[in-house]
Amino acid sequence: MNRTLLGFIRKELTQTLRDKRMRVLLFVVPVIQLTLFGVALSNEVKNIRLVSVFPPGDAVMQKIHDRSIASGWFLPVSTQKVFSDPFELIRSGTADAVLVAPPGGLTRALGRGDAKLQLLLNAMNVIEAQAMESYVSAIVQRTILEDLRLDPPEPSIQVNSRVLFNPGLETAIFMVPATLAMVMIITTMVMTNNAIVREKEMGTFEMLISAPVSPAEVIYGKTIPYVILGMSNFPLILGVAVFVFGVPMRGSLLVLVLAAFAFVCTAVALGTLISTFCKNQQQATLAAFLFLFPMIMFGGLFFPIENMPVSIRWVAYLDPLYHYIGLLRNIMLKGGGHAYVGTHILALGLMALVSVVWSFRRFRTTL
Amino acid sequence: MAEQAVIVRDLTVRFGDFTAVDRISFEVGRGEIFGFLGANGAGKTTTIRVLCGLLLPSEGFVRVAGTGFEQGDRAIKTKVGYMSQKFTLYNDLTVEENLSFIASLRKLGSNFYVERRKELLEFISFDRSLGTPVRDLPGGTKQQVSLAAALLHDPEVVFLDEPTAGVTPASRNLFWKLIRKLAASGKTVFVTTHYMDEAEQCGRIALMREGRIIALDTPEDLKRSVFPGAVFEFDPKTPLSFAEVAAIEHLDLFTFFEPYGLRFHAAIRDGEDWNRARPELECKFNIRRIKPSLEDVFIKTVEGKKR
Repeated sequence: MNRTLLGFIRKELTQTLRDKRMRVLLFVVPVIQLTLFGVALSNEVKNIRLVSVFPPGDAVMQKIHDRSIASGWFLPVSTQKVFSDPFELIRSGTADAVLVAPPGGLTRALGRGDAKLQLLLNAMNVIEAQAMESYVSAIVQRTILEDLRLDPPEPSIQVNSRVLFNPGLETAIFMVPATLAMVMIITTMVMTNNAIVREKEMGTFEMLISAPVSPAEVIYGKTIPYVILGMSNFPLILGVAVFVFGVPMRGSLLVLVLAAFAFVCTAVALGTLISTFCKNQQQATLAAFLFLFPMIMFGGLFFPIENMPVSIRWVAYLDPLYHYIGLLRNIMLKGGGHAYVGTHILALGLMALVSVVWSFRRFRTTL
Repeated sequence: MAEQAVIVRDLTVRFGDFTAVDRISFEVGRGEIFGFLGANGAGKTTTIRVLCGLLLPSEGFVRVAGTGFEQGDRAIKTKVGYMSQKFTLYNDLTVEENLSFIASLRKLGSNFYVERRKELLEFISFDRSLGTPVRDLPGGTKQQVSLAAALLHDPEVVFLDEPTAGVTPASRNLFWKLIRKLAASGKTVFVTTHYMDEAEQCGRIALMREGRIIALDTPEDLKRSVFPGAVFEFDPKTPLSFAEVAAIEHLDLFTFFEPYGLRFHAAIRDGEDWNRARPELECKFNIRRIKPSLEDVFIKTVEGKKR
């Protein structure tokens, strides 16, 4: 290997690993972030305070209520106050959801064949309200089918959903791979970008290019070490994902490492490209923020890309996080289909290539 | 006859509309200590960067240690050493790590590197451990190690851009001993400085102003050509008010009248007028004839343009 390149790799690794803050950034922060986000980031709505309003002796309503509480999503509200108006329960903040039986009770209404159950929801948070609604309708369906062994009231379409790959619908299994990707891009891109800009700011960059080095030697010399460093914490955070959060590992580890490598190369290349536009570390930090937010938004971490308008979806396709999150979920949860994995690794590789070529065009060994 | 170490003809460097260096020409001989003086922004650093291959000239002919830009900037970079005014070692690496990184940048063979390192550390009388982090070195030592780093590949010409900015006077002295030793061993040293005592030690100096060389000669000849007439020092017997100083300054007697510490240095315009005015001035000042200092030359040519 080229002597200059080897010198660069040795120097960058020494500098990064000698710096205590960088060691923390590489090996402690990702674990903390992954744990924190894995626990906290959840689409599940729990502890919904539920009141069911029905006349005494309404057996079906009682069953629905009991099932709801038993599901673990709902909490019974013990209220001494008697509300004449169920709306008041929501408005006063006593309950998040109120189930109201039809006049005379649900049991009797079922007998008449026009069972209508009213659900009042506090929809201040739309996402929560949607979740509550789907929980309740699922419970009602199941009560009717399993407890009463009745044909459901009209419409008699049975929704027979089978949940694949994540049977418990556990959010962690879905969220942790995405969080892993996010944590990796933050450390890798920011670290690379800063490493280059710091040299410009300190004036060592001028010394560097006062030696007869080629642009390729400088660019590869400043990127290869950070690909190594970016991969160095991958086993650690993968371990946390698998052993702490129980994310399954259904695909091949080798394919997963390959995907991670493609992603780290892209992140490092992007960091390098951004650094060619920055003169000092303030600019570098700002630029990193400018890129990180949209990357996370379009990465499919919080909002499914499939729900976006087609034109916006193309923005997501340009987001390395989108490809990597897809790859991680696909490989870990589903086992990794050849076509899917191939396409997205290729997409990442292409982005890395474009960034490197663009960096070359912008890079000069003269001032 | 060996070619000159540096040949510059009609060098011009423009940044957009701004002309940083404006058609300058000069030559520097081998083994010479060549000084570059000028106010900040006069174009010294820009010129040095061109000569080091760091900046492409807009126009003009440049030849450094037998190479030019037609052979590419890297050809020049191989031949010259450069120590920039910013401190350019990595603080978080040790002396050995810094030098070895520079050796790998320049692709020096490892035997050559180890040999050269030993030589240079002896040259700068480095007596600490090679494993000392650069951060822990005193300012003067850091600067000497920087010099060693710039000399690692044994360049024929070395460019030092304000190498002694911000170090103690003792360290400056020591550093200039090294510069003289380098020149004595046949290296060409090209140095910029703001210190007049340092400029006095150069073989020849070029004064730059607004991108042009306005004077170029040995320190002695510069003084002679800038001050062809007699120069006197005026030492006030009692402290003078601004008004009194201004009144004397505006007498038509002087081509140059500038404060020098608590005293004044003055060059007279004409012998007869001077002889007539002298007795009156001697009531207020002790006047004695002096040799002009380089500072006077600098003030008169670079900064001042009075009368």
